[in-house]
Amino acid sequence: MANVLDLRRRIRSVKNTRQITKAMKMVSAAKLRRAQERAMAARPYAKMITSVLESVTRRIDIYDPETGNLRHPLFATREEKRVLLVIISGDKGFAGAFNANILKTAFQYIGDNSTKEIDVEAVGRKARDQMRRHYPSALYAEQTDESGRKLQVRERKAPVEVTGDHPGLLEKLETSRVFALAQSIISRYVHEEIDAAYIVYNEFKSVIQQRLVVERLLPLMDIGRPEITGSAEPTEEQRERAAEAAISAGVPLEPADTKEADEEARKFGTAQVDYIYEQSAEELFNGLLPQYVSSMLYHAMTESVAAEHAARMTAMDSATNNASDMIDGLTLYMNRVRQAAITKEIIEIVSGAAAL
Amino acid sequence: MADETNELRVRLVTPERILFDHAAAAVELPSKSGYLEVLYGHAPLLAELGAGDVTLHGGPDGEQRYNVSWGFVEVLPDRVTILASDALKPQEIDVPRAHEQLDRGIKMWNEAGDSEDAYTEALRVIAEAEAKMASAQATH
Repeated sequence: MANVLDLRRRIRSVKNTRQITKAMKMVSAAKLRRAQERAMAARPYAKMITSVLESVTRRIDIYDPETGNLRHPLFATREEKRVLLVIISGDKGFAGAFNANILKTAFQYIGDNSTKEIDVEAVGRKARDQMRRHYPSALYAEQTDESGRKLQVRERKAPVEVTGDHPGLLEKLETSRVFALAQSIISRYVHEEIDAAYIVYNEFKSVIQQRLVVERLLPLMDIGRPEITGSAEPTEEQRERAAEAAISAGVPLEPADTKEADEEARKFGTAQVDYIYEQSAEELFNGLLPQYVSSMLYHAMTESVAAEHAARMTAMDSATNNASDMIDGLTLYMNRVRQAAITKEIIEIVSGAAAL
Repeated sequence: MADETNELRVRLVTPERILFDHAAAAVELPSKSGYLEVLYGHAPLLAELGAGDVTLHGGPDGEQRYNVSWGFVEVLPDRVTILASDALKPQEIDVPRAHEQLDRGIKMWNEAGDSEDAYTEALRVIAEAEAKMASAQATH
């Protein structure tokens, strides 16, 4: 039987752990609030760019009537043979099943599409580590073409390869870096290195409304209604846990009401008037489409960051509760042990006295 | 026609946040093919923005200037919405960084060879850097 001293030491250690998990929970709650605000602030732009693009595609045929060519290569659809998968995970652990779930979805997608060649672009440290462990990096060989210029030529060795990762992108989300990533994806699409692009990420509307989705980024088809090819919702139990954690940390459960602002944003570029277009349709598309793709990516990243903090907050709330339960159990046991020791001593004294 | 109800509502929106949402008498915009000034009652227009300064005249805090680079603008008779990829106040511009950007742009220009895309990209970088530097200088 453990002695009282050992138990006391054990309780102290669990208390320390509880302190840490509690602090981590509060930190996550604060970060979650900030991430939510950022996601909110980014919405008007995303909505506006979507509505203007939608309106322009409605007014201007995406095919040039004279030549019959597409006005922008991003509208082109090809048979999906080579697919780019952008995986957005978290940078750090201690967030419950957050990273595991994202990676599970990604691996499942890769497994389901084993006949295609898949390029992986990992955003977030956890995704990078896992993907690097499972799949080889893409190799490029240098070649010189007939005019003496040096070219990077891709040498594919395996059906699934990692083409790039973006450390630190989520830590400090900057639109310029996201835009650069979008540009690189677009250029690969335009040069027919890939036939489609998908993003795997955790969608986040509020603490209790979130799901894992695989969303198509390219080719652009129905603008404003991104096609979601796979999604996984949290279970009822998980949702309750998340709600409990949110309430105890003072995070609002429902997302802020943005209906009015959304309505306003949706009107951008869609008024029922004939616009003068300063640039030609091709130029407009040229400017708008990269911005649209980039705003979709940025949106996915802000939501994923918020979801990561929410998951960490929930996990740390559970850990704090578990630690409290453990302390209660240990305290009870310690008291019992102490009582037993006292009783034993009394019995010894009494029986000693009786023997005299 | 010009009474106080005839005010333009001007909004400047970046991917990160809404920078301002005010009424103003007039606004100057750097469209891709040159500056344009919008007053109340302008014909509906949709244009691509270049790099340069958005100047707000007759706003609540007097004249306001923002350096923007790339984006779109929608002009309606009573409303102007500017969607900019990036917007800064002149005081916020990092001049040494703009210089670096200009050097980078010139380097890109020299290395572009005969790729048209590379030239366009280099021109973009140069235009952005020059607009930033001009905007920062105008305040001093």
